[in-house]
Amino acid sequence: MNPSRVIGLLGPVLDRADRGRDRWDKWRPTVAVCQHEDLLVERFELLYQRRFRRLAEQVCRDIRSVSPETAVCPHAIELADPWDFEEVYGVLYDFVQAYDFDLEHSDYLVHITTGSHVAQICWFLLCESRHLPARLLQTSPPKRGAKPLSAGDFSVIDLDLSRYDKLMSRFARATEGDICLLKSGIQTRNPVFNELIARIEKVALGCRDPILLMGATGAGKSHLARRIYELKRSHHQLAGAFVEVNCATLRGDALMSTLFGHEKGAFTGATRDRPGLLRAADSGLLFLDEVAELGLDEQAMLLRAIEEKRFLPLGADREAESDFQLICGTNRDLQQEVAQGRFREDLLVRIHLWTFCLPGLAERSEDIEPNLSYELEHFGRTQGVKVVFQRDAARDFLDFATSPRARWSANFRDLNGAVRRMAVLAADGRIDRAIVREEIARLEASWATGASPGDAVAELLGEAEIDLFDRAQLAEVIRVCRASRSLSEAGRELFAVSRQKKKSSNDADRLRKYLARFGLRWEALARADR
Amino acid sequence: MIQIDGSRGEGGGQILRSSLALSLATGQAFRIDGIRAGRKKPGLMRQHLTAVRAAAEVGRAELEGDRIGSTRLRFAPRGCRGGDYAFAVGTAGSATLVLQTVLPALCLASSPSSLVLEGGTHNPWSPPFDFLDRAFLPLVGRMGPRIRARLIRHGFYPAGGGRFELEIEPVERIEPLVLCERGEIRGRRVRALCAGLPAQIGERETARVVDKLGWDPACVSVEEIRDSAGPGNILLVEIECTHLGEVFCGFGQRGVKAEAVADAAVAEIRDWLAAGVPVGPHLADQLMLPIALAGSGRFRTLPLSRHSSTNLDVIGQFVELDARVEEIDHRVVEVELRADAGQGSGS
Repeated sequence: MNPSRVIGLLGPVLDRADRGRDRWDKWRPTVAVCQHEDLLVERFELLYQRRFRRLAEQVCRDIRSVSPETAVCPHAIELADPWDFEEVYGVLYDFVQAYDFDLEHSDYLVHITTGSHVAQICWFLLCESRHLPARLLQTSPPKRGAKPLSAGDFSVIDLDLSRYDKLMSRFARATEGDICLLKSGIQTRNPVFNELIARIEKVALGCRDPILLMGATGAGKSHLARRIYELKRSHHQLAGAFVEVNCATLRGDALMSTLFGHEKGAFTGATRDRPGLLRAADSGLLFLDEVAELGLDEQAMLLRAIEEKRFLPLGADREAESDFQLICGTNRDLQQEVAQGRFREDLLVRIHLWTFCLPGLAERSEDIEPNLSYELEHFGRTQGVKVVFQRDAARDFLDFATSPRARWSANFRDLNGAVRRMAVLAADGRIDRAIVREEIARLEASWATGASPGDAVAELLGEAEIDLFDRAQLAEVIRVCRASRSLSEAGRELFAVSRQKKKSSNDADRLRKYLARFGLRWEALARADR
Repeated sequence: MIQIDGSRGEGGGQILRSSLALSLATGQAFRIDGIRAGRKKPGLMRQHLTAVRAAAEVGRAELEGDRIGSTRLRFAPRGCRGGDYAFAVGTAGSATLVLQTVLPALCLASSPSSLVLEGGTHNPWSPPFDFLDRAFLPLVGRMGPRIRARLIRHGFYPAGGGRFELEIEPVERIEPLVLCERGEIRGRRVRALCAGLPAQIGERETARVVDKLGWDPACVSVEEIRDSAGPGNILLVEIECTHLGEVFCGFGQRGVKAEAVADAAVAEIRDWLAAGVPVGPHLADQLMLPIALAGSGRFRTLPLSRHSSTNLDVIGQFVELDARVEEIDHRVVEVELRADAGQGSGS
C-alpha cells in the first residue's frame, strides 16, 4: 500500500475542545485520524472555513505533535452555508479539480466524519463519480472500555464494489437471475446465444437507448422484447406498460393513428379521440416489430418522438408527449432499405445503436432440447394436462430436430407448433414414437412446400378467434380429411382407438359435428384441396 | 543472513528493536518474519516503522518490507556512521524506544553523534527519559562511551511533542560490566510530574509512596510541567546507591486513582529492595545488549521476565556468546554473558 494522503474538512464542532476541558480529553476526529498506529498519513489536506482559522491552526499544531510523519496543509475555503448542497458541492468540486493527484505514489482517503451531512453527501458523490479518486475514511470515537484517550476506530470504505467478494457474489447471483429471466428460465446451451443474452442484460439495465432486435420469423424477437420489459420493470427502470405493435399488419391512416393517435374527425371514420400506442407506452416500453414496414411519414414522426419525446397526433394542433423505451424488430437489412430510399438513415442511426441478431433455431441445435422441455411444460401449464415423451420417442425427435434435415424455417413457431400437435395427439399424455414419426413427416413436408402446417386453418377460417389448442387439433383433422377419400374414411382414421371400445359407432357423424363447431363442412375442405 | 522469528516469546516490538540495534552494532543483515504475530493488529505499526527508518538512516541500510502492517522485514546495514540525527515519533510511540535501536551502534561509531529525539518522553509502557538519564546511561558511561542527555520538553501520551537531545562520544570497544552489588542506599527522591493536571494528583501519589515505604516526606517533590503539548502525569522514584542509581515509575492514567498509580510503583520497589539486587527488571532488559556487545559481563537481578528471556535469545542470534542465568535464590538470579569461542548458542 502506498502512503496515505487524507483530505478532510475541519469540523467546527467535533474538532473543537469542550468549554473548560482540556482538548486532549476529547476525541477530535481530525486529530484522531493522525493518531492511529496502523494508519500512516503522509499528508493531510485540511479544508477549513475562513472564520474558523484559529481552530484550524490549533488542529494543525496538534496533528504535527501527534504525527511528525504528517505534513498538514491547511486550505481556507469560503462556505456561506454548509447545508446548501449546491454551494458545498461546488466548493469541494473546485478543490478536487484544482488538486494534483499523484495516484502512482499515494493512496487518497477522504475523511467524511467531519463537516455537515451535506458535505458528507458531496464527498460521497465526488468519490462515486470518480472526480475524487479516493476511498472514504470514516472515524469513530473510542468504544466504551477502550484504552483511555485512545484514537478510536477508523474504517476505510472503498466504493469500488468489485473489491467486496460477498457483494460481488450476490451481484453475480442477481445477474444470473436477470439472465435467466431473459431466457424465460430455459437453460440454453448455445454459447453464441448465451453471450448475446448476457450482453442484452447489460445493455438493457445500463441504459435507455433504443434496441434493435434482428432475426428471422419466429426467432423470438417479440418474446425477448417482452422479457427485456419484465427485466427493466423488475429493476424499477420502467413504470409503464409493454406495448407491442407489428408494423406489417397496418397501413396508411390506420397505422398513423394506431401509433400516434388522432383527434375526433381527423379523417373519415375518426369518430372519437384515440391516444395511440406511443402514448400508451409512456414511461413503458414500445416494441415495434417489422419496423422496416413503416412508411416514410411514420418514420419521420417516430424519429421526432424518439429525439424530442413529442409528436403530433393526426388532426391535433398540439403535440403530445411520451417518454418510452423503444425496441425495434426486423428481419430486413435496414442498410439496404436506406440505400433504396425506403428507410430514413437518421432514424436508423438512432435505433441501431444496440443491434442484436437472434440466431435461428437451426443454428442453436443444442438449445432444442431445453426448449422442447420448456414448450411441453408450458403446454402442460396452460392446458392443465401433463404430457411427456416416451424415452425412445424423445430420442427420435431430438435426433431429427438437431439434424441438418430439420430446417426450422419458422424457428420457434415451428417448434411450438410441433410440440402442440404432438401433445394434443398424445394418448394418455404420452408422446410415442408413432406420433413423433408422423410429426417429423409433417414438418418435413411443410418445409418442402414452404408452408407451415398450421396454415390450412388460417386459410379456411381467416383471422377467426380460435384457441391454439383447437387450432393444432383442427389442423391435424384437416390434414387427415384432405388425405382421405370420404368423410367416413377420415373418421375411421381419426377415431381409430376410441371406435374399438364402442359396440357401434358413427365416425362420419362425429367428425361432421366436430367440423361444424368451426363452421366447416366436409365439402368445403375437399373443395379447397382439390 | 540472520533469520529472526518475530512471533517468538512475547512476540512484541521488542524483538524487532533488539534485532535492529544488534544488526546495526554488529553490521550483520537480518530478516524477520511474523512481526508482532498474534497481536490484534499484527505487523509494523507507526512507532516501529519510525524505529526501522531511524536505524536504516544511521546504518545506511537496505530495507525491504518497511510498510505499515508488514509482518516481514529485511534489514541490511552498510556501515554505521556517527553524525547529527533527528528522529520524531508519532503519538503513542516513545522517543526513548527509538533511541534504543540506534544507541549501541552510535556508541561504537567512528565519530561522535548528536541526536534530537521528538515524541513521547514519558509514555506508559516505555522507559521514561528520567530512567535513561539517571539509571541506564550512567551505566553505559561506565562501559566507555560518554553520553550527555538533556530533556528539552516533556511529551506525554497522547499529545506527544516532547524533545530530548543526546551527545554521544563513541569508543572503539565497549568495556565489560560487572554489577552484583548495589551497595548502600544514599539518596531517595520521589517526584511527581503534573502537566495540565491538578498538583493534588502528584501530592497524593508521592504521599502514598513515602507513607507505604516509610520514607522521609522531605524527599518528595511535585513538579508542575508547563512546556508540554498536552496533559500528563508520571510518578518517578529514584534511588541512589553506592554502585548505581535505579529509577522506578508509575504512570498516571485517566480512570486510575493516584493511590493506585503509587501502589503499582511501590510493589516494584519493594520487590527490588527485598531482593537486595542492584539491577531492577527494566534495567536488566536494557543492560543485556551493551554487555553482549562488550563480550562479557555479569549482573544480579530479579528472576527474568519473559521479555528479558526473549531479548537474551535474540542477542544469541547476533553475538557468539555463552549466556548463563543462575538462580541464586528464589528472588535473585545472576546473568552472565561470556564471549564464546565459536561453539555457543550462536552456532
